Amino acid sequence: MRGVLGAFRELDAAVSAIEALKKGKLGAIHVFTPTPRHELEHVLDPGPSPVRKYTLIGGLCGVTFGYWIAIWTSDYWPLVVGGKPIASWVPYTIFGFEVMVLIGALSTVAGLFINARIPRLTMMVGYDPRFSHGDYGIWVECPPDKARTAEDLLREHGAVEVRLER
Amino acid sequence: MATLSQPLPARDEPRRPNIATADIQLPAVRDYEQVDREIVGTLHPTVAWFIGLGIAVMFLLIGIAAWMYQIYSGLGVAGYNPPVMWGVYIISFVFWVGIGHAGTLISAILYLFRAGFRTTIYRCAEAMTVFAVMTAGLFPVLHLGRPWKFFWLIPYPNWRYIWPQFKSPLVWDVFAILTYLTVSSTFLYIGLIPDIAVLRDRENISPIRKRIFSVLSLGWRNTDREWRHFARAYLFLAAFSTPLVLSVHSVVSFDFAMALTPGWHTTIFPPYFVAGAIFSGIGMVFTIIIPLRKFFGLKHYVTINHLDAAAKLCLFTSLVVGCAYMTEWFVAWFSGNEFEQSFFANRIWGQWWWASAILYTCNMVLPLSLFSQRLRRNASWLFILSFTVNIGMWFERFVIVVPSLSHEFEPWQWTSYRPTWVDYAILAGSFGWFSMWFMLFIKQLPIIAIAEVKEIIRPKLRIQHAHGMTPAGEHFDFEPETPGEHD
Repeated sequence: MRGVLGAFRELDAAVSAIEALKKGKLGAIHVFTPTPRHELEHVLDPGPSPVRKYTLIGGLCGVTFGYWIAIWTSDYWPLVVGGKPIASWVPYTIFGFEVMVLIGALSTVAGLFINARIPRLTMMVGYDPRFSHGDYGIWVECPPDKARTAEDLLREHGAVEVRLER
Repeated sequence: MATLSQPLPARDEPRRPNIATADIQLPAVRDYEQVDREIVGTLHPTVAWFIGLGIAVMFLLIGIAAWMYQIYSGLGVAGYNPPVMWGVYIISFVFWVGIGHAGTLISAILYLFRAGFRTTIYRCAEAMTVFAVMTAGLFPVLHLGRPWKFFWLIPYPNWRYIWPQFKSPLVWDVFAILTYLTVSSTFLYIGLIPDIAVLRDRENISPIRKRIFSVLSLGWRNTDREWRHFARAYLFLAAFSTPLVLSVHSVVSFDFAMALTPGWHTTIFPPYFVAGAIFSGIGMVFTIIIPLRKFFGLKHYVTINHLDAAAKLCLFTSLVVGCAYMTEWFVAWFSGNEFEQSFFANRIWGQWWWASAILYTCNMVLPLSLFSQRLRRNASWLFILSFTVNIGMWFERFVIVVPSLSHEFEPWQWTSYRPTWVDYAILAGSFGWFSMWFMLFIKQLPIIAIAEVKEIIRPKLRIQHAHGMTPAGEHFDFEPETPGEHD
């Protein structure tokens, strides 16, 4: 993966650089930021996160399993307690609810891992430890013929360091 | 994180979430470097910390020794006096589960409500939740005559072809507590990932620690892609944790409410238990966070405004709990049920008057002091009050468990209960267990969420008061002030 990395101290400089890079259509843009910022989301304009689908599917599977395990095991060893039905849906709602929360939460984490592509054994090209402290990084994936233009744009908008990465 | 995954439409700007900026919340915190330096700086071990850890481990060892003695001698050494066969262990189980609730309330429910004051206290509260539930989970096992058979409560395929009784509240408890422990641990860990990345990326870190933090941070790189999915996942985890808070202590209350015993068989128990749990948990948050902010020099992060806000929550839950106590008395009187009336008379004026007096004084009377703004903003008073709340809430569970069993329907069954040294030693051991985990946590991982604090700090700008762009192409101020914050 080839491209250009620019490091910025200021948020507004990074935002304006992203706007310029998007206009120039130089390649895919990845932003490193120590904390999520609305300003970056505005300018990057990503689509909705698909994590919600994992949550929904996990929750539905969980509630189904929770009711099923309670009903199936009760039918497997039918023992009347307190004159109540063998499969009593009212108390079994507790299992439906608890397992829905459990599987739904774990599916949400799975959705985060899959979509954010973590865990990751090696750092992405261009990552710099300062991006977890306070600086902003913009990594532009582009072929060598566009690298020069990207480099100029990043410097023009206030990058404190620009380097070619491969 | 204290943000929305999607920006609000421009027309909704005046109604944006009530997140106060750091200028208002944390006026002494200026930039990201300061946050990293000061919060990471709390991780260096000190002599006082080693002494604290040593004391915690000592209490834990006392508890372990008492438990070994109990296993060797049998449950008879624990002070049970039939029919009072639930004692300190079940009381402490309910107490510790309750302690955990405030952590989830602060980290999840206040997150959904965008309450800005949670930002600097939620990590501590969340860790407290996990360790409190870990502690609570020990007590049902300690209460078993043969603790090595505890796994019989878990539904798993086995050669006997038998399953747990799913209509039993004890099995409901197993599901509720294990789900709560799993979800709250997950919530804590997911929130920690960006902060662990900060620790990983520090200069002057030993290679072994760097390796450990690299693994724990899962290769987190702070990309926009990661943050986008992170924010959404965090929101959903908070949304799952919120009903979980309400359900777990409701399920614990069913252990009592499903029985026909006087004082237990009442529909008010689920909300009464939940309110009490949150009340006691906030008390424990004060017990933990007030010394920490002093010893770690974090008073400009956990400010007196934060304590004031949490004290209002404490006062509110105290009033709810007080209302529940009065409702119990009213229901006992109004029901016309002579067993219920006799039981309540015995609880309040009879055999257990002293326990009830402690309970009502600590949980209903003393918290009324928080109507005074001066006392709400006095950290020393809040610290003292937190102890009385903890004591009062432990006695609340004592008053629920013991008097009911000692004063059931048949007068010939009426008896008393006195805990033995084994009960006290194991109770002390539970505090040692909880404190040991907390002491280890505060020196390995940040007790204040670094990424969230950075989120409310005004970012570095090339042009001060520069303008960004809304999706509509209009300009807006960076970090606009929240309406009403100056009121």
